[in-house]
Amino acid sequence: MIVDRLARAFDDRLRLSPLTRRALAKVFPDHWSFMLGEIALYSFVALILTGVYLTLFFDASSADRVYHGSYAPLDGTTTSAAYASTVRLSWDVRAGLLIRQTHHWAAVVFVAAILVHLVRIFFTGAFRKPRELNWLVGVTMLTLALANGFTGYSMPDDLLSGLGLRIIVSVVESIPLVGSWLAALGLGGEFPSDEMIPRMFVTHVLLVPAVLVALVSVHLAMIVRQKHSQFPGPGRTEHNVVGSRLYPSYTLRSLALFLWVLAVLFALGGLVQINPVWLYGPFAPDQSTSPAQPDWYVAWGDGALRLFPPWEFHIAGHLVPAPFFPGVVLGGVTFLALYAWPFLERWCSGDHRPHQLLDRPRDHPVRIGVGVMALTFFGVLVVAAGDDILARLLRVPVYDLLNVLRVLVFVLPVLAGASAFLLARSLRRGDAARLGELTRSDLRAGRRPAPAARAATDEPELPAPDRPGERIELWPEGEVWRWRYRDEPAGVAILSNRVVLTEQEATEAARLAYPGVDHVTVPGPPPPAPPGRVRAAVRRWGNAALGVAVLAGALRQRRASRRGKGGNGPAGRRGGER
Amino acid sequence: MGAGTYRSTRRRWQPGRAVVLGAALSLAAGPAALAAPADPTPAGSPTPNRAGGARGEELFRQNCASCHGQQGQGSQRGPSLVGVGPASVDFQLSTGRMPIPHEIPQPGRGEPVFSSDEIAALVDHVGSFGGGGPQIPRVAPGSLTAGRELYAANCAPCHGATGSGAPLTNGWIAPPLYEATSVQVAEAIRVGPGLMPVFPSQVLTDEQVNDLTTYVRRLGSEHLDRGGNPLGRLGPLAEGLVGWIVTLGLLVAAARWLGRRAGE
Amino acid sequence: MRRRAPVPAAPPGVNRRIILSFLTSAAGAIGFAVTYGLGGQTQWEGVCLAVAFAGLATGLAIWGRRLVPAGGYVEEHEGFTPPPAEQALTAAVLTAPDSPIRRRGLLAALGLALTALGVAALFPLRSLLPWDRNRPVPARRDTPWGPGVRLLTADGKPLRPEDVPAGTMVGVFPEGGTGAGDAPAFAVRMQPERFTRPPSAGHLAGLVVYSLLCTHAGCPVRLYLKGTGRVLCPCHQSSFDLLADAAPVAGPAARPLPGLPIELGPDGYLRAGGDFTAPPGAGFWSRR
Repeated sequence: MIVDRLARAFDDRLRLSPLTRRALAKVFPDHWSFMLGEIALYSFVALILTGVYLTLFFDASSADRVYHGSYAPLDGTTTSAAYASTVRLSWDVRAGLLIRQTHHWAAVVFVAAILVHLVRIFFTGAFRKPRELNWLVGVTMLTLALANGFTGYSMPDDLLSGLGLRIIVSVVESIPLVGSWLAALGLGGEFPSDEMIPRMFVTHVLLVPAVLVALVSVHLAMIVRQKHSQFPGPGRTEHNVVGSRLYPSYTLRSLALFLWVLAVLFALGGLVQINPVWLYGPFAPDQSTSPAQPDWYVAWGDGALRLFPPWEFHIAGHLVPAPFFPGVVLGGVTFLALYAWPFLERWCSGDHRPHQLLDRPRDHPVRIGVGVMALTFFGVLVVAAGDDILARLLRVPVYDLLNVLRVLVFVLPVLAGASAFLLARSLRRGDAARLGELTRSDLRAGRRPAPAARAATDEPELPAPDRPGERIELWPEGEVWRWRYRDEPAGVAILSNRVVLTEQEATEAARLAYPGVDHVTVPGPPPPAPPGRVRAAVRRWGNAALGVAVLAGALRQRRASRRGKGGNGPAGRRGGER
Repeated sequence: MGAGTYRSTRRRWQPGRAVVLGAALSLAAGPAALAAPADPTPAGSPTPNRAGGARGEELFRQNCASCHGQQGQGSQRGPSLVGVGPASVDFQLSTGRMPIPHEIPQPGRGEPVFSSDEIAALVDHVGSFGGGGPQIPRVAPGSLTAGRELYAANCAPCHGATGSGAPLTNGWIAPPLYEATSVQVAEAIRVGPGLMPVFPSQVLTDEQVNDLTTYVRRLGSEHLDRGGNPLGRLGPLAEGLVGWIVTLGLLVAAARWLGRRAGE
Repeated sequence: MRRRAPVPAAPPGVNRRIILSFLTSAAGAIGFAVTYGLGGQTQWEGVCLAVAFAGLATGLAIWGRRLVPAGGYVEEHEGFTPPPAEQALTAAVLTAPDSPIRRRGLLAALGLALTALGVAALFPLRSLLPWDRNRPVPARRDTPWGPGVRLLTADGKPLRPEDVPAGTMVGVFPEGGTGAGDAPAFAVRMQPERFTRPPSAGHLAGLVVYSLLCTHAGCPVRLYLKGTGRVLCPCHQSSFDLLADAAPVAGPAARPLPGLPIELGPDGYLRAGGDFTAPPGAGFWSRR
């Protein structure tokens, strides 16, 4: 058993087993929405894997190069090395196009998954104390993801991305006082400069990914340190986490999700064409193509640029051009609001307590109203970025559509936000479990002004100590101890996530998780499993749990015997070794 | 998308109620004044002219005259056809843009109503109203690379670098180019139908037109969509839509399936 | 060998499904290798890799859902506000009498030194700016156009007035600066009597030349709608009326396209009479 001996060798030198045991027993909430962030994480892993491959073929230079290869319309054409190498990668490198397209799709999915994750965090209030820090880290990663998406989109030096880059340069130039300087600082000259592509390349493959990797690590470390939040439910308190353990259950599930993300991304990369730069042609400052839009995650900015009216003004003879407001101000306000939201909400609600239990979205009508309003606003902006395509599909003049969108961008968010607010309030006041069950009277109740007391916030933090039938049971299993929470009338039994060596440890853990619940020590073998859904699992896997306990005991015995104290574990005796 | 869009406006030809009106702008701004002197018989007509003038006159009277006038002088419903040139007539008829049952701002591509013989007869007949206008170009295979560069400089702004077409203002579109034949592409370049700029020989030589038609024909080839389904070659927003559908439909659904045991 | 607890029996059919998934995955992987070996084909490569990963994912998912316990475990949560006494103890260590942070004077000096170093470290950033033209703003104003610069077509040939017939748009570039990002312009011929506002840069028998760059965000306004006399920007749909001195008529652009004064040189070719009437492209602070 080489693995076994290797593990022991490391453990004997680093004393990893207590840490490992704790880490493997870490409990993840089972609700599916806790895996949304993982989709983003695994897309990021896919980005790195495919991206490294791409760097081996991409030539980040704007120097002239003659393309020779199997794409006939460009064969013999002089373009920038960046463009030529991208076309070569797409047409002449085996599997190159697959990796390139998978990389691009991974970026599209990455940002989408981040957004879905962010929406979940926002609507459930997972950003509240003590998790504001992780919210800040997350929002920073979102900005970096957008920035890196944009540089990646621009690096191939094709015509479509060149237009996008020119727009961004124009937006930067629109900043009062420093705009031209900032643009020159970034480009190292006038657009299109020779330094542009190498600089974007360094940013795209080195700077931003390095920061992203660091932030991902911080993000995860903070989750481990702070543990997961969870939805309210039986046996779930502000002092525990209920769910599945990291090993074996979550390891398998998470790996499955990782591989599924890869499967979906490669399927997209192989079957759906993305960013066919060979068709767009190389960038030239006098050429353009339509329809022209950026990738979806920056399209809200493009939509805002389209919708904003031609308003410019002068300050002391200096120009503040129109793109400044939709480009710089809107973007700045958006991210400022994202960063500030946890603190803003705390300041407005006066809620300074830490929260480990999540809100259901309906529990906070104002938050859901604001969230839906913002999402609708940005949704309309993204649609506006495709106003030309939409006008063609609907066969209406593009300026008519533009004017409609200029109205909708203000009206729709307000309507959507208000309805979300009212629906949340109706759900909260009525007893409908979900949206479909709302009755007319619930809706009426939602429309009325708030009732006197805010019941939700005055809810006691702990489960009622006198709740009958609730108790903690502790029992020895061979040399080790286990405990569980049991609510007999409700048919709930929740097992401690790990075995411990002493009764005192078990008691301490149980007291932390369920303060105020009576403790009962059960002598002898574990008591029978309770009825209910969990029962089946507990019974079926009682053997496995026993196995873990036995292994842990064996390890302890072995350590003890090494120290010369002797003693044989009841089940952990090794035969044949030595 | 492209095909569906213009097919929806196409009207099937019904000889019984053949009241055919012309589009106001599609022929009005032809470069009649600049073109070469008149040549009553189109040199590059795709079919030999054997039907004679009577057939053309008959067809014109039945299908065109109600808007364009008996002598092609134009009316309130349709522009004058005097001096538009064979290329223009052939383009409008062979792409099915003419005839149209009623006045619409921008007739779209469709199945041609007339056979190539009938078109040739009509071209002759319209030529008899007055000389001038570009001839039907003779096209020959050209250079793909030169064609690509010319396309990027002159055509891509409106028709899109991918040839998928794009909307202009007022509901006008620059149509997709995938179904156009080489001759039709060359005709459009020389004639400038509708809002399209015209590219006479001072601007694009005959060889350059050959290069362009070669590239445009190549653009319609599916071999260029090496990466898979092109999503109509509409660009990043269509890609983003697919990305979202996949994220929500396959990835979030997978997470939901994997996490279903929660009992939430 | 160590004696281990027996592996619990799997529910019927589960093992078979998992093994089948893994075998499918292996088939996908082999398929990818074969596709690659046969010369590569993007769609097949993608499908094979997707099958390989999806097979693994399915197998692991079934394994995770059917063969290991899920749910029903609890982990205690210590909370993250330490007791005040603990905070005080840590603070006491940090603020002990010999603690470096108690020596304020030294700290101030250290801070000064570090600030100086930090500011000095910013200086190399200046190298990111171009050195050839010191200030970005004049660079932004100047284009390669100027008095006497001849107009070239995209082919690099000098332009004569008769090369620009009515109804077409010809891209023009300054001789000696064709690659410059701010130089592209276009020439069109209008009917002089249709001008509703005379071109500020003048015209030669209706021939006008304007900057190609949209005054909103700098995209080339290469979409010329013949007959209407308008050009359209593909990026944000600004349109400009060439009959009214390229004034913006719709969309988000607020300023007209800068015109280029042109004259006929003694050699019969067109040449610029000066630079654009305003800096081309998007607006910026010192543009005025």
